[in-house]
Amino acid sequence: MTQTLLSIRNIKKHFGAVQAIAGIDLDIRENEFFALLGASGSGKTTLLRMLAGFEMPTAGSVMLDGQDISHVLPNHRPVNLMFQSYALFPHMTAAQNIAYGLEMDKLPRPEIKARVAEILDVIQLSPLANRKPDQLSGGQRQRVALARALVKRPRLLLLDEPLGALDKKLRGEMQLELKRIQHEFGITFIVVTHDQEEALVMADRIAILHEGNLLQCGSPHEIYEHPQSRFAAGFIGVMNFLPVRRSGNELIAKDGSKITADLGDDLANESDAVAAVRPERLSLDVQDDDNRLTGRVSALAYHGLDLQVHLDTPLSSEPIMIRLTADAAEGRRLSIGENVTVGWPAKDTRVFSA
Amino acid sequence: MTDRKSFYLMTPALAWLTGLMVIPCLLILALAFFRRGTYGGIEYTFTLENIGLVFDPLYASIFLKSASIAGLSALIAVIVGYAAAYAIAAAPAKRQPILLFFAVLPFWSNYLVRTYAWIVLLNREGLIASIVHSLGYEGELPRMLYTESAVVIGLVYNYLPFVILACYAPLSRLNPEIAEASRDLGGSGWTTFRRVTLPMTAPGIATGFVFVFVLSIGNFVTPALLGGGQFQMIGNLVYAQFLTANDWPFGAALSMFLIAIMMGLLTLQTFATERASGARQEDT
Amino acid sequence: MRSQANPRLMLMILSAVFAFLYIPISVLFALSFNEGGLPTAWTGFSTKWYGELFANQEIMGAALNTLIVAVVSTILATILGTLLAIGVELRRRKGRFLETIIFAPMIIPDIVLAIALLSFFSLLNVTMGLHTVIVSHVVFNLAFVCSVVRARLKTFDWSIVEASADLGASTPMTLWRVVLPVMLPAVIAGSLLAFTLSVDEFIIAFFTAGAGRASITLPMQIFAMIRFGVTPEINALATIVMTLSVIALALSQRLNRGGLPGQ
Ligand SMILES: Nc1ncnc2c1ncn2[C@@H]1O[C@H](COP(=O)(O)OP(=O)(O)OP(=O)(O)O)[C@@H](O)[C@H]1O
Ligand SMILES: [Mg+2]
Repeated sequence: MTQTLLSIRNIKKHFGAVQAIAGIDLDIRENEFFALLGASGSGKTTLLRMLAGFEMPTAGSVMLDGQDISHVLPNHRPVNLMFQSYALFPHMTAAQNIAYGLEMDKLPRPEIKARVAEILDVIQLSPLANRKPDQLSGGQRQRVALARALVKRPRLLLLDEPLGALDKKLRGEMQLELKRIQHEFGITFIVVTHDQEEALVMADRIAILHEGNLLQCGSPHEIYEHPQSRFAAGFIGVMNFLPVRRSGNELIAKDGSKITADLGDDLANESDAVAAVRPERLSLDVQDDDNRLTGRVSALAYHGLDLQVHLDTPLSSEPIMIRLTADAAEGRRLSIGENVTVGWPAKDTRVFSA
Repeated sequence: MTDRKSFYLMTPALAWLTGLMVIPCLLILALAFFRRGTYGGIEYTFTLENIGLVFDPLYASIFLKSASIAGLSALIAVIVGYAAAYAIAAAPAKRQPILLFFAVLPFWSNYLVRTYAWIVLLNREGLIASIVHSLGYEGELPRMLYTESAVVIGLVYNYLPFVILACYAPLSRLNPEIAEASRDLGGSGWTTFRRVTLPMTAPGIATGFVFVFVLSIGNFVTPALLGGGQFQMIGNLVYAQFLTANDWPFGAALSMFLIAIMMGLLTLQTFATERASGARQEDT
Repeated sequence: MRSQANPRLMLMILSAVFAFLYIPISVLFALSFNEGGLPTAWTGFSTKWYGELFANQEIMGAALNTLIVAVVSTILATILGTLLAIGVELRRRKGRFLETIIFAPMIIPDIVLAIALLSFFSLLNVTMGLHTVIVSHVVFNLAFVCSVVRARLKTFDWSIVEASADLGASTPMTLWRVVLPVMLPAVIAGSLLAFTLSVDEFIIAFFTAGAGRASITLPMQIFAMIRFGVTPEINALATIVMTLSVIALALSQRLNRGGLPGQ
């Protein structure tokens, strides 16, 4: 049973008339790799800055290890922040940057030296220890910033878009690297990102922020397979949305065709709704699927591992996306303009109120 | 467009600067090595006497005095100016330009008038004295005008806007997250200021100091008006050689000395700035 | 800039510094309307010192001289400085030597330039007067104009110059029809700055004006008045001079938006 490290209770933040955080409850567990996911302006940085102590919450509290730290100054919190801009000290070398936090803790010189050397080794920057930030590449700076926050061994490490400034390939490598380091140090990480793929790859749990509200919190699998709102469904991965209307135990699409789903009670009869299905759940020409629809191929996009097909249908003004594995695509050559029928099982249909 | 066309555009101005700045300056450089004529003229024989005279103990006390007044003025101006620049940079972004504008405004009004204002304030029958007396103080006030302090106040007053401008530039460019990073790593407000903000803005302080120092040490107006002619700065000495003592070669040597001080300080400052910004490649 | 700054402390610093900067100036301002003319007592509001000021032939003569010096040297400096700025920014190679020469007039101590010019003129046996003051003022004025114009040119889109050439314009035509109109606000801002500097300049004028009353400028007159017997008219004069400088600077700042040189 893992313990709760951080409890956020009904926290709010207003900047004048702007409501950046609208009232959030969240528990972060010990040793967890937690991702905060949200679009630009959703309040991710604001939430992190409240945890680090740079913004005072308008209301609510932050408890760390059972103690209320809402009013503790940033320099007295066992919490460290890796800034979105890295915020490295330009007049200090990499090693001096990393040593700074340890000097603030008044550790003895030899220990500081040893710990700096150790962490430089972990981030593989030992040869560049005496360079100043402007003599380092973006990726190297990012690692110095990480080491600087990490070397203090905080209870909680906050990372604001740690990989945001890196190119795609480096990001992929660093995602795994971050996970390795987190595991090795046994420190709780809260990582802010607006890249949903990154969140899925790295995190033990993900929270989705939208306009200052917490939409959903759960494991990557839960979030991907069981989104609780239309926004969450569209934000994570690709989703096909079909406008429908509930009629008894069935959903009626725009063109009158029926769509089957496991319907709960929360959707009233005769109300408008949206049915959703992931592109990879759709398959070609399967006979015994619960749902079936026919459309015209309007675009084909080859992605190496898979083939994406766009289908114009009368069910929706947007094209329906289908993702075929390379094997399935081999078996059935498609061309633009062709009419095809696709199907999916009822259990893969998600329904949201409109 | 070619460099030839740009050359035509630059020629008139460069000719002007050459004829009326470069050549006259080279001229006094040369003058410094000629002998003074018996009746004040110039005798065209080479000598190092003037240069030697600059370092003569006779003038050492004047130099020390000028340097200490200029240094004190520069120090005070830098402390006050930095504090003001810091406060302006800490103000809401919307209000900063207007604050800066009003801080610099006096700099562009007449130097003599600004200096004269202090005579009015510090005079024996001046405003400060009248206020103190009207408050009921009967005794004799210490002399305020025609003192070293008056000269220092006048210099600080006149050059303060320049220092504010010089310090504001690096302060306003600071990324606030860097100071926050220091707080986050456990630094107190004071430690953050001392170890992060101050070193990062040191170039502005150095520029401010050098300029106030050089302009003060070469000044002759303020010592004449607020010092009552009792103190000689290097500027007064130069003035005297040209207008009263009629020893132009020595005056020329003195002004070369002034330029040398300025260049030396500026070089030092550039060097320090480069060090601070980490422009040098460190060997690993 | 930062959230940690103590707002009350900051407010105290600003109030103290602004008080220090503005009280002396304001005192002169108030005094110029004091009937008695002395700082010892307020004897009533009056504009009589302004009347006396305008009746003083010496001061008016000096003011006229200053106006002549400032106008002529500003016109010359604006032309030379603007051409210089365009020329320098057009060059592909940036020379350190060139930069030093252009920058030097702004940082060289006035007294050094003043005695250098004095020696130069007397060695050439030039009779000194207003004309020598004018040519001397052009030296630093052109540097200031150049720096203001260059600041604007840094953000100038040079492709419009190429576009103009592409459409068949000669280089002078391009300068006249394309570059100058875009640069005009900066040119005017620079010339206003030069004008202000020239009106206020004392040391160089003092050394290069030669002997005799005929070529005395206003700052020289003020210096003499402060030094040898203060008359209350000087408060009125100071107020006018200061107000004019401030107006010119505010205008220049408004036109330029880029800020003052040195920023
Ligand atoms: N200091 C502030 N003053 C006023 N409004 C602010 C301030 N900081 C943030 N906001 C507002 O609060 C909201 C949330 O901002 P925040 O920076 O937390 O977003 P974010 O999720 O980090 O976005 P991004 O992905 O772009 O970094 C935005 O609407 C922003 O404009
Ligand atoms: Mg952010």
